[in-house]
Amino acid sequence: MIEVWTILIAAVTAAACALAGSFLVLRREALVSEGLAHAVLPGIVIAFVVTHDRTSPLLIVGAAAMGLAMVLLVQLIRRTGVVDRDASLGVVFPALFSIGVLLANAELADVHFHADCIIDGNLSLAVLDRVVVGGLDLGPKALWSMGAALLATVTFVVTFFKELQLVTFDAQLAGALGFRPVLLQGAWLALVAIVATAAFETAGSILVVALMVAPPAAAILWTNDLARLLFLSVTFAVASAVAGFYVALGLDIAPAGPMATMAGLVVLASLVAAPGQGWLARRRRSVGAGLDLDARLVRARAEASGLMGEKLRDQLGWSAHRFERASARR
Amino acid sequence: MIALLEGLLELDATLLTVAAGATIIGAVSGGLGCFAYLRRQALVGDVISHAALLGIVGAFVLSWLVTGAGSKSLLVLVPGAIFAGIAALLLARAIQDRTRIKEDASLGVMLAIFFGGGLMLLRWVQRGRPSISGRAGLEDYVFGMAAAMTRADLAMIGGLGAFGALVLALCWKELKLYTFDPGFAASLGLRTRLVDTLLLALLVLGIVIGLQAVGVVLMIALLVTPASAARQWTSRLPVMVALAALFGAVSGLVGALISATELRVPTGPVVVLVATLIFVVSILFAPSRGVIARARARVRTRRESLGSGAQGAAS
Repeated sequence: MIEVWTILIAAVTAAACALAGSFLVLRREALVSEGLAHAVLPGIVIAFVVTHDRTSPLLIVGAAAMGLAMVLLVQLIRRTGVVDRDASLGVVFPALFSIGVLLANAELADVHFHADCIIDGNLSLAVLDRVVVGGLDLGPKALWSMGAALLATVTFVVTFFKELQLVTFDAQLAGALGFRPVLLQGAWLALVAIVATAAFETAGSILVVALMVAPPAAAILWTNDLARLLFLSVTFAVASAVAGFYVALGLDIAPAGPMATMAGLVVLASLVAAPGQGWLARRRRSVGAGLDLDARLVRARAEASGLMGEKLRDQLGWSAHRFERASARR
Repeated sequence: MIALLEGLLELDATLLTVAAGATIIGAVSGGLGCFAYLRRQALVGDVISHAALLGIVGAFVLSWLVTGAGSKSLLVLVPGAIFAGIAALLLARAIQDRTRIKEDASLGVMLAIFFGGGLMLLRWVQRGRPSISGRAGLEDYVFGMAAAMTRADLAMIGGLGAFGALVLALCWKELKLYTFDPGFAASLGLRTRLVDTLLLALLVLGIVIGLQAVGVVLMIALLVTPASAARQWTSRLPVMVALAALFGAVSGLVGALISATELRVPTGPVVVLVATLIFVVSILFAPSRGVIARARARVRTRRESLGSGAQGAAS
């Protein structure tokens, strides 16, 4: 039963991250997820120090605020023009993360907010922390918070699908149409920060990044259509989480590493197998193009010389295999 | 009494090793980081350092398979880190060159595979079945523990650092030209692929020597933060590299001392916060580029234009 709950939490976390991450990847800001996944830590720790309650909703509020603060800080530093964007992200998130790590070390050494949890998350513990109303067990708290984050993301995407599509693929046109992408982007980033925060506690930093970036990157190889892309990336994310869970179970280790690795492997598999963009499909196309050329050559030579079969092959100087395949092709 | 004195002396020797190592690391990473900063490869550095975890743990496991005992000597772990870092980077480049996945996402995917894989292997080593001797302390590579540095490690760090500095000095002109204007460099007949590879190798070198002390997660800051701070004070590359090396060295030294003596906290975060402090001071107080200098210049301009406006009205 515990296994089912754990898989459920992991799947919901994966779906929310992948959905939120898709737009980051499409806007070429995938590594903002790396920033967010680290910057939320001090928010969580400070909120914990204040409330002394690991399950307080204030933790999520504090962390999401810190995530937004990071995005704003990066933009502020970039706007002053003194440091470019990549570097300002590289300055800001390690600084915030360092504050979080040191605070966690100083304040919470005894509590299970151990340094390992920052990286690994604590999925296995998340299952044990239940919502109980009037003696009725309503499932793990993490499932509720992650479920809420997923619901909010889905609602946002469905409501603003057209606007998101426009802003993502043509921000200038959106502006010219009198549409204010800044507001939508701000709201969207806030949502991404909330998802990253909710996921951080159960999944840990690396898994948040992996689930936000890898499944959408894989999905890009499979389709051009935004709705399909979102659906595929959620599917890939959930599949990676479930597969990673069983690998972790088999190896008897924390699931964050295996789940992240699985998400990465899905991309590698897509690089090989995706229709159209994949290596196999491209190879088949180039082989096909070569065969077409050969077939035309055979026909032209046959017409010009009047030769057939073996003699034609001798004149071309081809191997039997190549000649037969070219002759068979129409 | 004598035992106590001996203990103190021993502590001092350890402390000296750690302090010297952290200073060298800070100087080398800070100086080399300037090139990553100027070529906008800050996040590339982040991915290389994260990816190194798989190489480090992989090399450890390999040494256990070969010799029967896991080795945490930098002589074993650093080649692994270099291998994994370069593999991740080349794979990311291959993906972004050949598919429609862009640079940021391909780097993120490498993070998932290499750091995720490294973490998986690390947790497998740590769980203790099979019991691999020497595994304790391997997890310190995540957040860094300068106190773990031995004399041999220091020698390796010093050697690699000196090698990096030497290469930088010998190829200075080429590296500088390529960093600022790759197109012009190519038109002059510079073998740009070679220079690109060299810069990449230097970047990887600047990362791997610091992993033990600062950790894979935060190594990015030691590359980028001193360079970003140094950039505020000057527009000349030699001065920038020297300043970044100085800022890095100070961060490394102060961070290692605080972490090793006071609280036994992980070194990485402390070093990063010292570097960040230098960065904040720099963007506030640097002459001409600093926030305060620019605000004052704005006020002066406004006053002058108001003054000339008033004069114009009077005449």
